[in-house]
Amino acid sequence: MLRLLIAFAAALMLTACGGGGGSAPTHTGSSGSPSGGGGTTTPAVVNYATVTFDAGPAALANGSPAYTAFNEPYVSVTICAPGSTSNCQTIDHVILDTGSVGLRIISSVINPTLLSALPIERDTGGNSVGECYKYVNSYAFGSVRQADFAIGGEKVANMPFQAIGDTGTFAAVPGTCSSGGGDAITTAYSFGANGIIGVGTTTTDCGYICQQGYDSGAGYYDCPNSGCSTIIARAAASAAPFQQLPNPVAAFATDNNGTILDFPAVAAAGVTTLTGKVYFGIGTQSNNGLGSAKVLPLSTSTSSLGPGFLTATYKGKALTQSFLDSGSNFYYFIDAGLPICTQSGLSVFYCPTAATPLSPTLTATNGATASGAFTLYNPSTTTSGSANVAPGLAVNPTLVTPPLPFQNSFDFGVPFFFGHKVYTAIEGRTAGSVAGPYFAF
Amino acid sequence: MSKARRVRLGIAVGAVAGSLAVSSGATAGLGGKAPSIQLDRAQLGASLHATPQAGRTTYAMALPNGAAVKEFTNATGAVFAVTWSGPGKPDLRALLGSHFQALQAASRVRDPRFRRVPPQVRQSDLVIQTGGHMGYFWGVAYIPSLAPAGFAVADLK
Repeated sequence: MLRLLIAFAAALMLTACGGGGGSAPTHTGSSGSPSGGGGTTTPAVVNYATVTFDAGPAALANGSPAYTAFNEPYVSVTICAPGSTSNCQTIDHVILDTGSVGLRIISSVINPTLLSALPIERDTGGNSVGECYKYVNSYAFGSVRQADFAIGGEKVANMPFQAIGDTGTFAAVPGTCSSGGGDAITTAYSFGANGIIGVGTTTTDCGYICQQGYDSGAGYYDCPNSGCSTIIARAAASAAPFQQLPNPVAAFATDNNGTILDFPAVAAAGVTTLTGKVYFGIGTQSNNGLGSAKVLPLSTSTSSLGPGFLTATYKGKALTQSFLDSGSNFYYFIDAGLPICTQSGLSVFYCPTAATPLSPTLTATNGATASGAFTLYNPSTTTSGSANVAPGLAVNPTLVTPPLPFQNSFDFGVPFFFGHKVYTAIEGRTAGSVAGPYFAF
Repeated sequence: MSKARRVRLGIAVGAVAGSLAVSSGATAGLGGKAPSIQLDRAQLGASLHATPQAGRTTYAMALPNGAAVKEFTNATGAVFAVTWSGPGKPDLRALLGSHFQALQAASRVRDPRFRRVPPQVRQSDLVIQTGGHMGYFWGVAYIPSLAPAGFAVADLK
């Protein structure tokens, strides 16, 4: 980590020297190149970072009730005041999420000296810009601030991120944000992480919908001193000058066409910690080739289905809004034929009496198919012990009988990534000579 | 469905608007009466098409961001179901009316280890099912006792 920080500091000095007024600092591919540490060739940029599954940030253990994270892939990221090499902070326990886009950090984990030096984006009226970001059972509201960002040897200058739970003008959540329902995310304890880095299939977190002044689940707000209430249009740029939150990977100078998540397989009994890697870029360096992975093109931002989907066929039913998502802690799908757990804490989990092989098939938008087979396990043992990571656990999102329509989705959560090397290529980028967006594994 | 008659309600808006002041304090959204649909339409900035069918009417709204909302009324004009799908989440406080709190209660994390589970409500006379992913969310809220005879949940599609 130390050598990465030194490399980052050196890179910032270079960009500061080359700074051209108002535009993106020049990224030089060779600026952040420490020793490869054992390899015979030195990559131009350190294009990987460690991913750790563990009990989570200290806020979880220190909260009431104390709890531990489960199946949560964490990375560390570094943010600095724009142009500074000293007013910096490395934020640990940031969720690595292939199912969303943009960097979001709980504002209270950022030290006050740094937070106050991170400029808040301004809209055309000169007011502060806020953002609401909706998840399936919660929402996060906060300011949009800019920082010099780094992960591994990759970096983005002046990158907008969401400071969740920011105070002052942003303290009151707009009604149009909370009216989507769910709990407010405000603290590391309530989020289960210090932040989240969304590296999904789109280049920005909202795209053309916010460009037109609407809300896609991400919505930007005009925030005068009196507070935030009006949704405003923000441009979808994945390079400076930014407005919407970019996919940080799409904003890198190089290695900017996607990611590879490389996690080991996990035994049925689970483990307390797991360590893997995220590689940035696909087919851009010697360590991130596409190889023989099966490529599965996905729906795009202009699809009526929404972006980043493929079809999973499960027990004869084609589910056209299915996806792979490292930010989902479990598999989510409906199968009324599988038993549900009776323990109160596990009331939405499947509890098979024995390990049960399941074999959904994935069909891409171009007709390519791949097996999505996995083994379903009973969570009773793994979730009651000391394990923070376990494979093959699944939730039924709809226990209503018969299931109501609209459930058209099979969510291959992070357990699917255990033992698979999963590629996520970004829309509009070519990755390994194949056009994104796609998943491959 | 393909034979159903589609009626533009644009002209009706003015007539209904006169009653808004009276009805705004009444139950709106799910469980409310058909006039509340115009309140919801205005709240969502949506266009509205009504499709009368045997024993029920489907009110389909197209939201400016591309999302779709439907409200289903029975023969007495009571809203017995609401569905939503598309980018973002619509104003569920308006669409679910007094039942929004049930969704909120279901959204609360019971075991903090297992967060980010789509909220669902399974009460004897209220069913809410939700789901989604970045850029696209969906859900169904349904009051079985208000549904017309012979109504099948598959018809909510």
